[in-house]
Amino acid sequence: MRSIARKQEIPNQGATVRERLRAMDDSAVVTAFLGGEERAFSELVERYQTRLLNFIYRTIGDREKAEDLVQDVFIRVYRHLHRFDRSKKFSTWAYTIASNLAKNELRNRSRNPLVLMQTVQKNWQDDDRPLQFEDTTSRPDDMYRKRHLREIVEESVAKLPEHHRHVFVLRELEGKSYEEIAEITDCNLGTVKSRLNRARNSFAEIVAPYMD
Amino acid sequence: MDCREFQDNHLAFIDDTLSGIELVGMLRHIAECENCARHDATVRRSLMLFRNLPRIEPSPEFSERLHSRLRELRDTERSATFHHSGKFAAAVAVASMLMLGYISNSLKNVDSPRDIVFPPVVASLPEPELAPITTPAPALVASAAAGLPIWTAALFAEVQPLHFASADLRLTSAH
Repeated sequence: MRSIARKQEIPNQGATVRERLRAMDDSAVVTAFLGGEERAFSELVERYQTRLLNFIYRTIGDREKAEDLVQDVFIRVYRHLHRFDRSKKFSTWAYTIASNLAKNELRNRSRNPLVLMQTVQKNWQDDDRPLQFEDTTSRPDDMYRKRHLREIVEESVAKLPEHHRHVFVLRELEGKSYEEIAEITDCNLGTVKSRLNRARNSFAEIVAPYMD
Repeated sequence: MDCREFQDNHLAFIDDTLSGIELVGMLRHIAECENCARHDATVRRSLMLFRNLPRIEPSPEFSERLHSRLRELRDTERSATFHHSGKFAAAVAVASMLMLGYISNSLKNVDSPRDIVFPPVVASLPEPELAPITTPAPALVASAAAGLPIWTAALFAEVQPLHFASADLRLTSAH
């Protein structure tokens, strides 16, 4: 079906097409891709790669693996976009795929605790992480304190139970609505609210001693 | 509003989705209850910390790696399509050849008349039914006048001719 649809092309060429794609909403970009415009897929990648990477990274806590999983998300999107129900939001669909891959990854790790331990240690000892939490104009002791605080926050997120963390990241980092989270995590609205409330309270409890 | 009710509404309070009346109730409770006010402040501050965590960016080789995987995927799809279409074409060719052979053979046979050959008739004799053997007993009949005293009867018996009923011994099945 997609190969037939690809015969249709967006008439404009080069930069103009990219600009037009950039101005479109997700649904229109998806339609353009299914209509044969391959560059529309690059536009989707451009829009979602960072968001999905952060979502998966905050869920599984492993940057390299998160990149691999984001790649897997896009491969799946590419292969199955012709089956995507266009009456729904593309972002919800993409996050659902990402969420399922992240869950599978965590499930696989829980079966192999050694891998989990190595990953966590590697993450927390990684000096190459961006230091955007700090203000470079601050004094060294301030920088140290802020960096330490960032590590505490990251560790605190990692301490949340998996299903709480999932909802928490989707809401607080990605700004998803309760309804979208319910769809992505395949839970009912009540469960989402309950998990989010508990996750917020638990997170606040863990972080509180380091905030003063 | 009590602390329990405050806790129940706290999620919506943080997300600012409460109705006007509920919101006023929550604010009033915070002003009165130190514990709930502290809890509210802690949650809000911790969330702010989390939301301000640095966003990570994909590595420089991310795009190249993805495009390379997509190219591989497209190649695989194309070769799979070609492979399948090649197999299909071969199957169609073989089927067409067979069909043509069959049709030409049928046409050849239509021109040459043949004797009508009936299938051999096979008949079988039913086994004879065996009837039960009956042997009727021979009957002895004597005619004598009735109503006479015995001695006269005996006298008459000497005079009267004796008639024996003929009785044949025969098998019913023989007829």
